[in-house]
Amino acid sequence: MRTVLDARDVWFRYGSTDALRGVDLRVDAGECVALLGANGAGKTTLVNLATGLLSARHGALRTAGGDPRRAAVRRHLGVVQQSFGLPKALKVRELVTGAAVRCGRPAATAGPVLAELGLGELAGRGAAELSGGQQQRVRLAMALVNEPALLILDEPTAGLDVSARRHFRRVVERRRAEGTGVLVTTHLIEEAAAVADRIVVVDHGAVLADEPPGALANRLPDRTVTARTSLSRSGLNRLPGVISVEMRGTTVRLGTRAPEALLRELLDADPGVSDLRVEGAGLEESVVALTDAAAPGNGTEEPEVAL
Amino acid sequence: MSGMTGVSARNRVLLGAVLRVEIADELRSILREPTALLFSVLMPVGFFALFVSIFGGYDAGAIPAGTRMLATFGTFGVLSVTLMNPGVGVAQDRELGWLRAKRVSAVPVGVTLLAKIAAALPYAVGVLVAMTVTAALTGSLSASPAELLRVLGVLLVGSVPFALFGVAVGFRLRANAAAAVLNAVLMPAAVFSGLWMPLRMLPDFFADVAILLPTHHLARLALAQLDGGQVFGHVAVLLGSTAVAATAAGLSYRYARL
Ligand SMILES: Nc1ncnc2c1ncn2[C@@H]1O[C@H](COP(=O)(O)OP(=O)(O)OP(=O)(O)O)[C@@H](O)[C@H]1O
Ligand SMILES: [Mg+2]
Repeated sequence: MRTVLDARDVWFRYGSTDALRGVDLRVDAGECVALLGANGAGKTTLVNLATGLLSARHGALRTAGGDPRRAAVRRHLGVVQQSFGLPKALKVRELVTGAAVRCGRPAATAGPVLAELGLGELAGRGAAELSGGQQQRVRLAMALVNEPALLILDEPTAGLDVSARRHFRRVVERRRAEGTGVLVTTHLIEEAAAVADRIVVVDHGAVLADEPPGALANRLPDRTVTARTSLSRSGLNRLPGVISVEMRGTTVRLGTRAPEALLRELLDADPGVSDLRVEGAGLEESVVALTDAAAPGNGTEEPEVAL
Repeated sequence: MSGMTGVSARNRVLLGAVLRVEIADELRSILREPTALLFSVLMPVGFFALFVSIFGGYDAGAIPAGTRMLATFGTFGVLSVTLMNPGVGVAQDRELGWLRAKRVSAVPVGVTLLAKIAAALPYAVGVLVAMTVTAALTGSLSASPAELLRVLGVLLVGSVPFALFGVAVGFRLRANAAAAVLNAVLMPAAVFSGLWMPLRMLPDFFADVAILLPTHHLARLALAQLDGGQVFGHVAVLLGSTAVAATAAGLSYRYARL
């Protein structure tokens, strides 16, 4: 399988903040990889490295055809950046044909892409007269118009309604089926699980997990046990079935997939336990538990997650 | 070998197409939101009309003052378009993230800049034409068409270093700040270079400062097209300014946060 993005041990630093700390990431042709992480995790930084806007301090990063800092290599990329506005005075058709020509394609390639994204009727509208979701469709059209080998989408569905999200996913899915590699960032695990063949969880610039959505879900907690207890963090970690530990004063939240066994041992270890609650953990919450556990400042070096 | 030339010929065709798209986009943006540029055209032409109707009849040797002012005040008029427009435009594009999007889509930044400068030129021409008409209407125009064309050519080509300086500022500052800074540079430079009022009418101190200003040398070069004055020194200063401004623009882009 042809690899269209290959990042190895990539480090990046803004001033004194390490935004990326030894990231490995691979996307093959025809594969969709979701980069999942909280705000500030380093997703956009990695995207900016993959689109040649930044240079890694250490490590190697290649996209289809070579080093993305070379302009000729970037012609094979399709990118929807997290924050870029469309020039207000330009019309939809002008924006998309412009994107085609800038990548060395004939202006006529814009037509089918406009149609595919349902922009035919809006083609004569100015960018300033579009809704947020329509603008996002224009950005996607601009990214697709050169038939990229690698499509990079930085939080593409932020602000889209449900049906727009679905439409977006279908378009991406079609490209993936045609062999385009896709890297999509998101902070919603449901979103990642819906589109991706593989989910890469990043937190504080490091990869915490890299696996198919199903496998990831199997190793994430699906229940949380909340309680007040005097047990220490390491004591809690030793309990059977504990996947993640979150502490706020004497209140703890434990992520687990085996709440019964955990409860038995917890009551044994600390007879003074109070305010006990067991709840279902959404996938969303599980990932928060996962990244919180790995956060520096929790008094531990290693993620306290049994990954 | 033939493969190599084939590739570079194709690249030239590509760049040509990209440049056309970039210029077309720039012109569209200007035409569809003309207020900003309109002011940078109307303002100098309005002031020119005022000054020429007051001083236009004064004879300064062989050439009426109104005609000399086409070169001097004309320098100010052309620069108020070419210094401001590409620089502020770059700052706006950068704020929008549009410059970054273009960088990713592999458009050489030189092509973008060339398009911005090229798109401003018709308006610079408009300024000079309007000034020429004003001078003619007030009866103070005395120059052959060839001389007028030479003045125009000198001012357009000579505005390149100023456009580059504007762009260097635009890569660093937000659009509002860039406009403010460029205006704050242009206004005093115009006064001290004798672009508004002839240096003869100002204290000697102004002439001492003028000699240091590229704006003054551009005006003198334009004036030389009318009075046959020497050009070499002015051309040298402008070439030097171009080198400095191009370097500044290059460095500014290199360290710009796109
Ligand atoms: N230009 C910058 N200068 C300094 N620090 C920066 C800059 N851009 C990002 N950072 C820092 O680098 C880290 C990673 O930021 P990044 O934008 O990559 O996160 P992200 O995962 O894309 O977040 P979000 O979900 O909010 O978009 C953060 O700590 C952020 O504060
Ligand atoms: Mg981001």
